[in-house]
Amino acid sequence: MFERRLYRHIDWAMVVALVALCLIGLAMIYSASGGPTRVYTTQIYGIVLGLVAFTLCLSVDYRSLADKSHWVYFGVVVLLAYVLLFGAVRGGSRRWIDLRLFNLQPSEFAKAALALMLAKHFGEGRQGPAARTDLLIGGAITLVPLLIIARQPDLGTAVTLVPVFFAVAYLAGMPLRIFGILAMVGVLLAPVAWKFALRDYQKERISTFLDPSQDAKGAGYQQIQARITVGSGGLWGKGFTKGTQGQLRFLPVAHNDFIFSVLAEEHGFAGVLVALGLYLFVIVRGIEAARLAKDRLGAYLVLGVLAAFTFQVVYNVTMSAGLAPVKGLTLPLMSYGGSSMIATMAGFGLILNVRMRRFTN
Amino acid sequence: MSVPGDTKQRVAAKLTAIQIGVALLFGVLAVGFWYLQVVQHARFEELAENNHQRRLALRAPRGVLYDRNGRVLVENRESFSISIVREHSRDLERTIALLARVLGLEAAHVRELVDRHRREPAYQPIVVVDDASLAQVAAVTARRLDFELPDVVVERVPARRYPTESLAAHLFGYVGEATDVLAGLASGAIVGQSGVEKAYNRDLMGTDGAKLVVVNSVGREMRTLDEVPPVGGKRLQLTIDFDVQKAVEDAFKASGFNGAAVFLEPSSGEVLAFASVPGYDPNAFASGINRATWSALNGDQMKPLQNRAIQGRYSPGSTFKMAVALAALEEGVVTPEQTVHCSGGANFYGRVFKCWKKGGHGSVDLRHAIEDSCDVYFYTVGNMLGVDRINKWATLLGLGVRSGIDLPNEVQGLVPSTEWKREKLKEKWYAGETISVSIGQGQVSVTPISLAVYMATLANGGTRVTPHVVRAVDDGTGWRPLPAPAPQSVATLNPEKLQAIRDGLWMVVNGGGTGKRARIEGKDVAGKTGTAQVISNEGRLAARSTRDLHDHGWFSFFAPRDNPQIAGVVFLEHGYHSANAASVAHHALDTFFAKKDGRPLPPPPTREDLRLDLSDPMDRRVPAAAPVAGQQAGRVPPAVAVSARAD
Repeated sequence: MFERRLYRHIDWAMVVALVALCLIGLAMIYSASGGPTRVYTTQIYGIVLGLVAFTLCLSVDYRSLADKSHWVYFGVVVLLAYVLLFGAVRGGSRRWIDLRLFNLQPSEFAKAALALMLAKHFGEGRQGPAARTDLLIGGAITLVPLLIIARQPDLGTAVTLVPVFFAVAYLAGMPLRIFGILAMVGVLLAPVAWKFALRDYQKERISTFLDPSQDAKGAGYQQIQARITVGSGGLWGKGFTKGTQGQLRFLPVAHNDFIFSVLAEEHGFAGVLVALGLYLFVIVRGIEAARLAKDRLGAYLVLGVLAAFTFQVVYNVTMSAGLAPVKGLTLPLMSYGGSSMIATMAGFGLILNVRMRRFTN
Repeated sequence: MSVPGDTKQRVAAKLTAIQIGVALLFGVLAVGFWYLQVVQHARFEELAENNHQRRLALRAPRGVLYDRNGRVLVENRESFSISIVREHSRDLERTIALLARVLGLEAAHVRELVDRHRREPAYQPIVVVDDASLAQVAAVTARRLDFELPDVVVERVPARRYPTESLAAHLFGYVGEATDVLAGLASGAIVGQSGVEKAYNRDLMGTDGAKLVVVNSVGREMRTLDEVPPVGGKRLQLTIDFDVQKAVEDAFKASGFNGAAVFLEPSSGEVLAFASVPGYDPNAFASGINRATWSALNGDQMKPLQNRAIQGRYSPGSTFKMAVALAALEEGVVTPEQTVHCSGGANFYGRVFKCWKKGGHGSVDLRHAIEDSCDVYFYTVGNMLGVDRINKWATLLGLGVRSGIDLPNEVQGLVPSTEWKREKLKEKWYAGETISVSIGQGQVSVTPISLAVYMATLANGGTRVTPHVVRAVDDGTGWRPLPAPAPQSVATLNPEKLQAIRDGLWMVVNGGGTGKRARIEGKDVAGKTGTAQVISNEGRLAARSTRDLHDHGWFSFFAPRDNPQIAGVVFLEHGYHSANAASVAHHALDTFFAKKDGRPLPPPPTREDLRLDLSDPMDRRVPAAAPVAGQQAGRVPPAVAVSARAD
């Protein structure tokens, strides 16, 4: 199934950038968790499995995958429903399926599955701007997993699905005024959501973000410490494993949500620029794959996957500097977490898949 | 409907727009990091350092106190203090509640402690328990390891260890937290509050050190960055002789009386023993006294916190007679050999002043007047002298003035004079008042320390030495003797006349006098007893005996007579008879000389060994002098009831 001809069209620069980000993340996990701990070795397995997933997603023609996208989508929705009912509880939410060896987090795979499903939905429609019914169906496809994930509750991951829809819809020709209308509705609904939809801890996080000092020892603590961590890094950083904030645990969950803060502390602004540059390269180069795609399906798929990825990177990096409310959103490729790693690498497998098969029929 | 090609172009344009948008977004992020990491770096670097660096005070141990022979008297032991550092608190209320439960304290009490220090910087530890028990330390440590009490620290601090049984408590004094914020003293610094601890606080305190440590987010110390070790306080060698001190206190204990005693080296003023009974346990103060103990000590009717040796003012009774004798001799009023006839009483200014001995002493010269403590003799010479000349010589000998001892809060006794009465009472001095002053009554009052100096001055021939308790200091470079403080005054006394007084004092102990209990074979102890009446005879008759109304007993002494090595005084509060004071002094003197001669020290006395005389002196006391009608010239104020005892 893997023709020699295709092999030549693999985007090796992209692969190098992805692996580089994984390795930077691994090094930061090593530093933040205090050496070759279990967290560190688990992440190595995560990267290896991620590469396997990457290769698998690369190998099968994306068009045949898209043909079965409704099965993938359906499977993920079932898993999400299962998690909601029987999942392992950690930190007050059900997000994981305990598979003994590791915990599976289906919501991570929902992003790629949704991208695939939406690409198929919009890509197979008639040519020209998407019709209103197409948009409504696309919206419904997005809302099902989104609502289930929000119920876990995992608002961060749920919100990540929104850009997937908008990116694909935008490319499929959704009129810009609909963005405007949705934005208006969003603004008008925000107070209602504040009152009814958000949980107390979520409200607290948002109000704390607006004024971290009002709760300097509680919810605002992470945000203040994140800012101190990043700011104290300076231009060149404190040196590998020499960071005080991460090493002495002033910064909570340093190896996970705040891995970028650790990088900023130990390697300074210079290290930040390198990592941001790599991420920007991966995204811009990924969009290039959409441009090169042979069909609309491919372009939509690439942009859908990239939308979730970009949203998550930008949000997490902003949060790492204490400039956004704290949410349990990991930094793809760098943060600790097997499911995230595998799902992200699978997503990039799809992107390279589209690019690689740009000349095939 | 647009053609496919057109669609393709529009898609490409959208993708380009998205690429540019993402690039701009990343540019904004980079600027944000640049602002935090480069522009504001200094501020965040400082915040990060404040986060993980702690400056801990290392308390300097106070200087050790030694006795004159190098024996350790007061030293330091290790103790643990448990404090709250609010800087690390996530939930102060929870910490207070949990800590109180773990330590077995009232939460309200802990909260009050914390409130009291509210205005101090948050990094300053607030001490909750000083000198914690091992169980308390273990309980807190266990909670800390569970991250439950990240804002609680357990520190090792040196604490004072005083000898058991409150030996020389009033001499050593005690330490406590500095209450007034003195310049350069950290809040919570331990300073001397009384005694040597207070007087020599600057020497004893030393300089606290500091340690700069890295702590993690739960406050555990990870490593030390910098350390300035504390410099311990200077060591002091006291003039006290432990064995004599212990002998004095043993004898007091056996007697069951309260009181005071001061023993001096007459040539230098070095204090060999210094006692005030009852004492208190300075260890109770060593690491923060609790309120109950403090109020118990303060409210105690026995006044254990009063340093009787330098703060008690008592009537000297017959021990005052040597001052009158010396004044009479030096002023040429009498010669040692001149006699006065005592018929049991005499009339001065229309009032009869009785001698303690009903039948009288017959003709007595100065030596026998001292030996028998003949009141009439001293009435007579005192009347010839007048109060101002008595005042002059008594002052030269050290009475009525502060001794200048190097201990805090010494009070002053009183030897009246015409000038004093004019200034203080705005009244004229009546000659009749001089008669009571002549036997140490009336307004005369002395502190035990001043009476000890007085005996030392008689012993050394007129030099009023300044008593002092420290003889050498070691700041870590070796012992350096402290020069003895200059004498308060030096009087040139006629040796022959002085010898007559010394002979009289020798006869008190070694002849037929009242001090024979203090006799030590071959040591020529010279001394004088005295009784201070607490209440007039009439009052006493009305009140009928309670312990508090018994007379005070004095025994003042020096020895040996011709080459005095020790001088001093023993004062027994409500001690019934001055002979009992002589018994207490005897044991201490015996110990002193045994040590000098290399004999085995006498064992602590039992109550029987002291052969206390607890008979009621009322039975032998003569009734108060009755005023003679019609003679007003030497009016005696009725407040001054005059009587005399067999001293």
